[in-house]
Amino acid sequence: MTSPANAPVMIEARGVEKWYPNGFQALRGVDLTVCQGEVVVIMGPSGSGKSTFIRTFNALEDFQKGSIVVDGRPLTNDVRNIDAIRREVGMVFQQFNLFPHLTVLENLTLAPTLVRQRPKQEVEQQALELLERVGIHEQARKYPGQLSGGQQQRVAIARSLCMEPRIMLFDEPTSALDPEMVQEVLAVMQELARDGMTMVVVTHEVRFARQVASRVVLMAEGQVVEEAPPEQFFTNPQHERSRQFLSQIS
Amino acid sequence: MNSPSLSFARLRRELFATPLDGVITLALVGFLLAVGTAFLRWMLFQAEWAVIQANTTLFAVGRYPIEQQWRLWLLTVLLAAATGLSWGLLRGKGSWPRNDQLTAVILIALAVFGSWGLKLELPIQLRWWGITALLLVVRWAAGRWSQALPAPLLRLVPLVWPVLYLVGMVLISGGLGLMRVPPGEWGGLLLTLLEASFAILLCFPLGVLLALGRRSELPLLRWGSVLYIEFIRGAPLITLLFLGQNILGFLLPGGLAPDRVWRAAWVLTFFAAAYVAEAVRSGLVALPPGQLEAARSLGLPMHQALIHVVLPQAMRVALPATVGQFITLLQDTTLLSLIGLLDLLGTARTVMANPEFLGKNAEVYLVLAVLFWCCCAALGLGSRALETRLNPLAPSKA
Repeated sequence: MTSPANAPVMIEARGVEKWYPNGFQALRGVDLTVCQGEVVVIMGPSGSGKSTFIRTFNALEDFQKGSIVVDGRPLTNDVRNIDAIRREVGMVFQQFNLFPHLTVLENLTLAPTLVRQRPKQEVEQQALELLERVGIHEQARKYPGQLSGGQQQRVAIARSLCMEPRIMLFDEPTSALDPEMVQEVLAVMQELARDGMTMVVVTHEVRFARQVASRVVLMAEGQVVEEAPPEQFFTNPQHERSRQFLSQIS
Repeated sequence: MNSPSLSFARLRRELFATPLDGVITLALVGFLLAVGTAFLRWMLFQAEWAVIQANTTLFAVGRYPIEQQWRLWLLTVLLAAATGLSWGLLRGKGSWPRNDQLTAVILIALAVFGSWGLKLELPIQLRWWGITALLLVVRWAAGRWSQALPAPLLRLVPLVWPVLYLVGMVLISGGLGLMRVPPGEWGGLLLTLLEASFAILLCFPLGVLLALGRRSELPLLRWGSVLYIEFIRGAPLITLLFLGQNILGFLLPGGLAPDRVWRAAWVLTFFAAAYVAEAVRSGLVALPPGQLEAARSLGLPMHQALIHVVLPQAMRVALPATVGQFITLLQDTTLLSLIGLLDLLGTARTVMANPEFLGKNAEVYLVLAVLFWCCCAALGLGSRALETRLNPLAPSKA
């Protein structure tokens, strides 16, 4: 789970600042470096800008100051550059955002066949394997509306993986789930981390962070407050704000 | 499971639950019986249907040259086949739901009693029977064997309609070796359906583009769309029709200005597009923003995200309102008679002005109403079938 010291940098964010159109400053100069194979967990109170921050990595949110380099490509306003980055960066949302008018299998094969223009049969084969990996291949012909929340989120993960991304972003992947379904999703993410996927995860799941994270980042009021290995972060936080946050979630 | 059984106990329970209910039921039944018998008596004994019987051709096609009418018959045959095909494929699995049974019965009744009541000549009666039979047989066959056809072929079936439309235009107006029949000679139901279908086909893509434009991030596009939609929706169709007749003549040099019939068709198209745009916009608004985000985060470029993710879902929401708009459009074609075109209503007015048939307005208007009802019912049924088909959780597909 810990990456070698000289692993290539996958995401490099420097001094990122973002204002919303109403003048509210959501990000106040955030720095973050993520190396290949790392699992970075971002925690923090709601409104701290953590979701906004990881959504800048694939340009779902824009930013006004600073720089972000993803997989060697600087994020610019160039649409083709953004599309190229999005092909390499998978994203899993709190609300799953599966396409309800397509079957589970079609949800997985849509982007690879359209964007990568791979042959349909080959993609379907791969999609079925991915669905088997997340434990729902027998539901391949069903529609998302017929699945439970946990199953839908696992389909969403498989959908992202089907594009063979080099980085996976998770935006509170278990927050919308019933408690008994959280574990099945975390298990899939854990296995993904074990296979060496570079991951940035916004979550409140302490156990997941402890077991899987290479580093934990605490954000508050649009800034990084503390950045530390999980063991140190949870047992011996250095900042008052971190201690306050940890006492609130435990 | 919940099929309504017409048992005596059930009738009693629903219609005579309390004394007051019983009184209301009896009063209503009495009223309906009185109106019904009065209407029937008028229809069978007082009305003189000669006004219709003598003018069937005029109502159907206006002054379309008689020796060229075989082209319209051919088109009707093609249309019947295409309708049967689409109908059968929409249902699939060889099933005949209750709506379909009802429609089939109405069609047969129209073909048999309609052509008999109109005192059509026997060969023409036989033609209508044949066309109806063709429609139903193709529908049966398409439903029966649709599963056996390969999927790529099935996906081509919707293309039958635009192709048929082009074929129909050639058959109606001539060209490609056929004698030309200028638009001025088209009339009656032919003109009404032609104008309506032209506007329906074109206003739909135009409306989708306008709806997307209204939600675009480009200010010029957005404000242009808003301005257009609000201007059109703020003006009555009749003024736009008059405007179209006059303004196009001024704007374009003499030879280029389209014929009056086509001017009206374009005005109808542009008018309906604004309303369709609002219907589609309601579908776009109903879509959670996460859908577009998910599509974009998978690397789909904007146009592919719109085509494969946003529009299919938005259209499912917008379909009922859009079809409602199409039905309104069909009925709005009657306004063409006010700008001097001989559509169904325009033809009817010339017939009623004929001294031979003076005072036979009720008969004529009743037939018009029935004709329009048939067309609108067909549109409504078609859209209902399409809705069921588009719903992924519908039992027919799951």
